[in-house]
Amino acid sequence: MFDFILHVAIIAALNGLLALSLNLQLGYAGLANFGQIALFGAGAYGAALAFSWGFGPFAGLLLGLALVSLLALVFARLGRSLGADYWGIATLSIAEILRTVATNETWLTGGAQGIGGLPQLFGFDLPGTLALAAAALLATYLVLRGVTQSKFGLAVRLLREEPQLAASLGYDLAGLRRRVMLISGVPAGLCGFLYAHYVTFVGPDQLFASETFFIWAMVVIGGLANHSGAVLGAVALQILSASIPFAKDALGLTSEYVAAARLTLTGGGLLLFLLLRPQGLLPERIGSVRA
Amino acid sequence: MPEPVLSIRGLRKAFGAHVVLGGIDLDIAVGSIVGLLGPNGSGKSTLLDTVTGFVPKDAGRIELDGRAIESLDPGAISRRGLVRTFQLPRMPARMSVREVMLAAERSGSGLADALLGRRAPSALAVDGLLERLLLTPVAEQPASAISGGQKKLLSIAMALANRPRLLCLDEPTAGVHPNLRQEIMALLRDANAQGVTLVVVEHDMAFIRGLCPRCVVLDRGELIADCAPDDLADHPRVVEAYLGRAGARAARKAA
Amino acid sequence: MSQLVFDLVLRTGDVALVAVALSAAYSLVRFPNIATVYYATIGPFLTYVLARVGLAFWLAAALATVAVGVLAVVLNATVFDRLLRSGSAIAMIGSLAVGMLVTAVLLVTAGPDSMRFAFALSPPQDLLGARVTALQLWSMGLSSAALLGFALILFFTDIGRCMRATAANADLARATGIDAHGVIRVITFASGVLAALGGICLSLKGELNILMGPDLILPVFAAAILGGLGNPLGAILGAAVIALTEVIAASTNFGPLLGQAFLFLPVNYIGATSFAILVLALLFRPYGLFVNEVRRV
Ligand SMILES: Nc1ncnc2c1ncn2[C@@H]1O[C@H](COP(=O)(O)OP(=O)(O)O)[C@@H](O)[C@H]1O
Ligand SMILES: [Mg+2]
Repeated sequence: MFDFILHVAIIAALNGLLALSLNLQLGYAGLANFGQIALFGAGAYGAALAFSWGFGPFAGLLLGLALVSLLALVFARLGRSLGADYWGIATLSIAEILRTVATNETWLTGGAQGIGGLPQLFGFDLPGTLALAAAALLATYLVLRGVTQSKFGLAVRLLREEPQLAASLGYDLAGLRRRVMLISGVPAGLCGFLYAHYVTFVGPDQLFASETFFIWAMVVIGGLANHSGAVLGAVALQILSASIPFAKDALGLTSEYVAAARLTLTGGGLLLFLLLRPQGLLPERIGSVRA
Repeated sequence: MPEPVLSIRGLRKAFGAHVVLGGIDLDIAVGSIVGLLGPNGSGKSTLLDTVTGFVPKDAGRIELDGRAIESLDPGAISRRGLVRTFQLPRMPARMSVREVMLAAERSGSGLADALLGRRAPSALAVDGLLERLLLTPVAEQPASAISGGQKKLLSIAMALANRPRLLCLDEPTAGVHPNLRQEIMALLRDANAQGVTLVVVEHDMAFIRGLCPRCVVLDRGELIADCAPDDLADHPRVVEAYLGRAGARAARKAA
Repeated sequence: MSQLVFDLVLRTGDVALVAVALSAAYSLVRFPNIATVYYATIGPFLTYVLARVGLAFWLAAALATVAVGVLAVVLNATVFDRLLRSGSAIAMIGSLAVGMLVTAVLLVTAGPDSMRFAFALSPPQDLLGARVTALQLWSMGLSSAALLGFALILFFTDIGRCMRATAANADLARATGIDAHGVIRVITFASGVLAALGGICLSLKGELNILMGPDLILPVFAAAILGGLGNPLGAILGAAVIALTEVIAASTNFGPLLGQAFLFLPVNYIGATSFAILVLALLFRPYGLFVNEVRRV
C-alpha cells in the first residue's frame, strides 16, 4: 500500500510537470494546445530511442529535448497563420499523426509493443524516484514562476489578451509564441524522459489524445495562469483518478465503470469548472508583477 | 524642408468598391508635429492603419527614414520606431494598469532576460507617468475596467513609454476630461522636445491650434489642405468638407 | 474501376453528413463543436434501443434524429453559448468534455462491445461491375437524401435564406429583422439531425460502437476545414477530397515509384492520410480550398 502511495505521488509530480507546461501555453499565452501529449511523447521516445541504440540516459535526455524542441517549433510555425480554434485542431492532428507513426514504424519505435527495458535512473527505488520527480517539479515551478513574473511574462500575457496592442508596441507575436512553445516543451519533454525511465517502457498507448484532455482538466480545475493551481490540479486529479479502482472494488462494479469514471472525472471536471468557476481553484493573480 | 521621417506616396485603400484612401502623398518632417483633420469617415484612421501595417494597403509606397516599410508586419514597423495608438483602445482584462504600463516599454522583455533574472529599471518612470495622468488610483485595477477616457490616457502613456521616434495618435483627447487635455498636450510637447515626431488625429481645434504648427485635412480619401491651423478657414474645400456645400455657401455669404 | 468509384462515394457519404453538420453549426455558432461527432454516436445508439423495444427501424431512426436535434439545441443554450463568451478554444474543449460524458454514459449503458442492427445480411451483389450490399445502398440513399434535403432547405426556403444571411453577417441580419436566435436554434437542430443521420448511415453498413464518434473527429474536421468551416456544402466536397485521397492511398501501388514491384501504404496509415491532409490544409489553405476569405488580424 505504501508503495502504491509513492507510485501515485510520483505520477502526480510527473503530471504536475505536464500541467505546468500546458499552463504556460494555455493559461499565460492563450495557446490552446490540444496536442500536449505529443510533447511528452517526444521526451519519452527520445529516452527510449537512445536506450535502444545503446546510449545512456543523459544522451536520451538530450535527444528527447531536441525532439521536443523540434515539435514545439512545428506547433509554433502552424500557429502563425491560424486562429485559436484552428490551431487546436492542428495540434490535435499532429499528435495523432505522431501516435500513428509510433504505432506503425516498428523498426524504429517497436510498434504497438513499444520499447521496454529502460533502466531506473541512478538505480533509484520508489522513494528515490519520487525525490527526483519532486525536484524536477520544484525546479520547473521556480523557473516558470520567474519567467512569468518577468517582463517577458507580461509580454506573453499581453499577447494573450490584446495581440493588436502588443504588436503596436513592437512585440514580435510569432516570436513570443515560438519562445513560449520552446520553453514549455522542456518540462513536458523532461516529464516524458522521467516517466520512460520510471515505468521502464515507452509505447504508443501512452500517447492517446485523452491524456491531453486529462492535463487540460488539471489546468482548468487548478486555475489557468496560476502555477500553484496547475500543480494543485495535477495532484487532485491524480489522487481522484487513482482512487477510482478502489471505489470500483468497494462497490463491486465492472471495469466499464472504471473507464467511465475516468471520462466523467475529466469531462465532468472540465465542464463544471468552465461553466461555474472558470478561474479555477486558484485564480490568476492580477497585478503581481512589480518590476 | 528637413529630411522627412515618414514619406507616403500614392497610398490607396478601398474596402470593396468603397475607396477610402484615393492616392495619398504626404511627408512628415523629423521633429515636427502634424495635425491630421477631417470629417468622420474621411479615412484618417484607415490612413494610420495602413501606414502602421495593421490593415493591408492596395497600393503605394511608405518609407520610414528612407527605407520602405510596406512589407513589414505591425510589430516590425513599431520596432523601427513608428508607433500608433488606437481610436478605441482595448485593454487587457487580466492585467493591471501598472502591468500593461510596464509591458509598454520593451527593454528587458526577452526570454533570456527572464531566465537570467535581468530586470529593466523602468518601474520608476512608469509610476511617474501614471502619476502625471492621474492614473495612480487605478494602477492596480484590471486595465479593461477603467473608463474610456482613462484607457485613452493609458494608451498614450504606453505609447510614450515605448519611446517611439514617430508617434501617431488617433484622437488622443476624445472622451478625456478638459483639464487632462492640457496635461496630454504638455506630455506631447515634452516628448516632441525630446525629439519625438508626432502625427495627431484630432477633432478638437483648440487642441490642434495649441499643439500643431502644421495640419493636413483629409476628405473622402483626398488630402485637401496642408497649412497652419489658423489658415484653414481660407480653404474653401475645408469649409465645404466640414459644413457641406450649402453650409459653405452660407458661410461665404455671412463673410 | 467502378468498385473504386463506389468505394469513393460510400466513404464520402460516411464523412459528409457529419462534416456538413459541423460546418453548418460553425456558420452561426463560431467554434468547432466537437460534440457534433458524438451526436453521430448517440443517433444510432438511440435508434438501436428504440428498434429493440419494437419500433420499426425507420420510425426509430426518425425519433432518434429528432431527439439528438433537440439535445443539440439544449446543449447549445445551456453550455456552449456560455462557454463561447470565454473564447472559441474554451468552447471547443467544453464540447469535447461533453463528448467524454456522452462516451461515459454509453459505456455503462451499452457497454464497450460493438453491435449490429438486426437486418438480414444479404450477400453482396453485382451492380455495374461493383460488389455492393443492400445495406450499403440503403445507407447511400439515406445520406444523399438528407444532403439534398438540407441543400434544398438552405437555398429554396425562407428559413434557409435567413440562415445564410445570419451566417454572412449576424448584426446586419438582426438589423433587418431576422430573429437571429431563432435561426441559430434551427440550424443547431438541423446539425444535430444531420449528425445523427450520418451516424445511422455509418452504422447501417457495419457496426455501432462507442468509438464511432472519436474515430470520426479527424476525418470530419479535415473535410469541414477543406470545404471551409461555416460553408456546409463545401464540406461535401471536402469529404470527397478526403475519400479520394484515402481510396487512392489504399489502392495505389507505390512500388514502381521506389523501384520495387509492390509497395502499398500500410493499412494503418490510410486513416492517417486525412490527418495529413488536414495539417497541410491548415498550413496552406486554412480557410478552405474553395474560399478566398481574408481575415482581419
Ligand atoms: N474594415 C472595414 N471594412 C469596411 N469599411 C471600412 C473598414 N474600416 C473602415 N471602413 C470605412 O472607411 C471609411 C473611413 O473610415 P475611418 O478611416 O475610420 O474614418 P475616420 O477615422 O476618418 O473617421 C469609413 O466609411 C468606414 O466605414
Ligand atoms: Mg477614426
